[in-house]
Amino acid sequence: MSLARLMAAAWERNLPVSVLIELTYRCNLDCFFCYNDLALRGEPLRREQYFQLFQELADLGALHLTLSGGEPLAHPDFLALGTRARELGFAVRVKSNGHALRGELARRLRDEVDPFLIETSLHGATAATHDRQTRVPGSFERLLANLAELRALGLRVKLNSTLTAWNEGEIAGMFALADSLGLPLQVDPEVTPRDDGDRAPLAVAPSREGVMRLFRIQTERGRALGPRDADETLPAPPGKHCGAGSSGLAVDPYGNVYPCVQWRRPVGNLHRQGLREIWLGSAELAEVRDLTVRVRERLEAEGPRAALLNFCPGMAAVSSGGDPLRIYPSAMQRKELLETVLEEEARRPVLPVIP
Amino acid sequence: MSFGGQFLRFPDLFPGRPAGEPWGDRAVTLDVAGGPYLVAGISAVQEAGLRERFGSLCRGAVDAAVLLRVFRAPAGDFREIDTRGWEYTLDLDPSPHGLRVAGLRLMARLDWTAGLSGALWTCEAAGEEWTGACENALRVLAAYRLLDLGGAVIHSAGIAGEEDGYLLLGPSGAGKTTASRLCLDEGATVLSDDLNAVLPGEDGAQMVKLPFTGDLGDRAGAPASTPLRALLRLAKGSEESLRPLSPAAALAGLVAAAPFVNRDPGRREALLDVLERLAAAVPAWELTFPLGARLWSILRSIPATRR
Amino acid sequence: MSAIRPAAVLRRPSDVRYRRIEGEAVVLRQSTAEVLVLNEVGAAVLDLADGRRSVEEWIEALADRFETDRETLARDVLEFAAELAAAGLLEPAPGDET
Repeated sequence: MSLARLMAAAWERNLPVSVLIELTYRCNLDCFFCYNDLALRGEPLRREQYFQLFQELADLGALHLTLSGGEPLAHPDFLALGTRARELGFAVRVKSNGHALRGELARRLRDEVDPFLIETSLHGATAATHDRQTRVPGSFERLLANLAELRALGLRVKLNSTLTAWNEGEIAGMFALADSLGLPLQVDPEVTPRDDGDRAPLAVAPSREGVMRLFRIQTERGRALGPRDADETLPAPPGKHCGAGSSGLAVDPYGNVYPCVQWRRPVGNLHRQGLREIWLGSAELAEVRDLTVRVRERLEAEGPRAALLNFCPGMAAVSSGGDPLRIYPSAMQRKELLETVLEEEARRPVLPVIP
Repeated sequence: MSFGGQFLRFPDLFPGRPAGEPWGDRAVTLDVAGGPYLVAGISAVQEAGLRERFGSLCRGAVDAAVLLRVFRAPAGDFREIDTRGWEYTLDLDPSPHGLRVAGLRLMARLDWTAGLSGALWTCEAAGEEWTGACENALRVLAAYRLLDLGGAVIHSAGIAGEEDGYLLLGPSGAGKTTASRLCLDEGATVLSDDLNAVLPGEDGAQMVKLPFTGDLGDRAGAPASTPLRALLRLAKGSEESLRPLSPAAALAGLVAAAPFVNRDPGRREALLDVLERLAAAVPAWELTFPLGARLWSILRSIPATRR
Repeated sequence: MSAIRPAAVLRRPSDVRYRRIEGEAVVLRQSTAEVLVLNEVGAAVLDLADGRRSVEEWIEALADRFETDRETLARDVLEFAAELAAAGLLEPAPGDET
């Protein structure tokens, strides 16, 4: 009766536990490195189609439903969709920039959607850096004010960030800010290309020193937390490299279904087929699942520290000329830097724990 | 009230970038002063509406000088407004990088970091509500575009004869429509009794028709451009009177009559430059006229130069 | 852990979300972010905890599905219900006085 065993079953038996839905690409901010493919065209899904999708996902056993975008709150049916998701028993996550999350909207979110978690983005420790990224002056101050309001409403919030050349000097400050707000902060060390392959965001990729600094801070903070709860980090089930297309999936505003939010290879479209039909019958999806096995084998050849690559085949498919098996340079760099930090860590004198 | 509060239910959700769900994949080009303007992302019904509204000024999509992208916004984004007796205004929020616009069932952005372009979000799917929303966005877009071209959009009545024309300035209620009607009765052509464009010309300035009229004027038809002979600031009175206006006074009148851009501190210098040149190139007068005056004859009698 | 009486009417609190996977249930308690796994009996109990039927009625419903003798089943269900209630996964339905 262990969670790890159940998650392994999900990977092996293709049970979609976690689903991400991009409701709209409309957004009330204008982040420079946004990965959305804004030129993408298609017919938006109607409310009834979303309800149908949610039902099919519930029937397939999905528990986590993440509403994302663009800014999901900008979707005209956001509250109705979130409410239906709750009614169907999903743990609803909302990935929002938080800019509009105050007053009536925040209250209605809590009362009607009752989300499990709100994930919002912090781009810097200062207004100058944060607003530089969002390109909306005042967004930093607004975010801080709204976070206080969300907290007072009893909503659970998590901060996400991406390390960039602009904020790499403020990482310690960002963690301090998150601590002072009583919120967890997760920092991704990598800037990714846009979903259409556009590499313009990479212009703000962090430096090696910046990445190193982040890894050192994260290691130090991990050290301060002490031994982690065994269930918090589930071991990867054998067989596949990741759950793309097996324990998770993603949907864009036009009904295209993807193995995950990063792997932008459409495996079906909800205007033409129901989700169940796609999930059980798509040849493209079968190929993706097979690829996650081959990625696993490929990485095994890289040795015991392959996990440090944090390799994402979806990213590889976008970056490396479409080859999901090719390890891209930033993954190599990440491994190298992490190894350095871990070796530093190993050489630290171990102080006795004084009870 | 902060930006958008009058028109929008959730001002915080105002689009931060030109993205969203288009109404369709159709597009048309509008041959309006400063253009051509490409209006893209519209449905077939909306395309038909624009063709009907703008007549021969509207044609199929071609390479354009300025792009206006159209997106859907749900009706729920907008507040219900009682428009009876309400003077139409737009809520503007200028910044160094762009302009946000909120109005009746519309939101718009102008962005100029990489050349001027516009985006419009509206819930109006068809009919005059749709063309009205589009027109409101285009008015603002044209004002900024013309400024970039060294010209301006001016609240005015544009009256023309065979060879040249006159720009009549004045706020609402000053008599632009009355004046237009009087001139029409005498056989003159009215470009628009509400909004006209001026652009620098070879000898002075050109007055260019805009298809965004008030009550009078030819709303569609071929673009009319005519040399600008004089600027008139209108004042109501019981007797006819015409007195020269200094360039400074003309400039003040013009700035007050240049909508949208005159509310943007970042455009102040550019606007003053353009209008100063206009006031120097074209003589200006203050004109008082009684009801029933033979206004067109009066205008024709104005000397070609001030002195 | 207080005992549950067969006449009690219990329901899932609103912050409990769960899914069946291979007969078992993955359960998330939103307010505390706890995740746990319940076996088939526990999963069945969660399904039945709609706030309308009593625990006695659950036992009736389950008697057909499970091959244990009724006395053992009743004891298991009552014990399970008590555990789940203690873990915050069940609460008295409004109007329940037991």
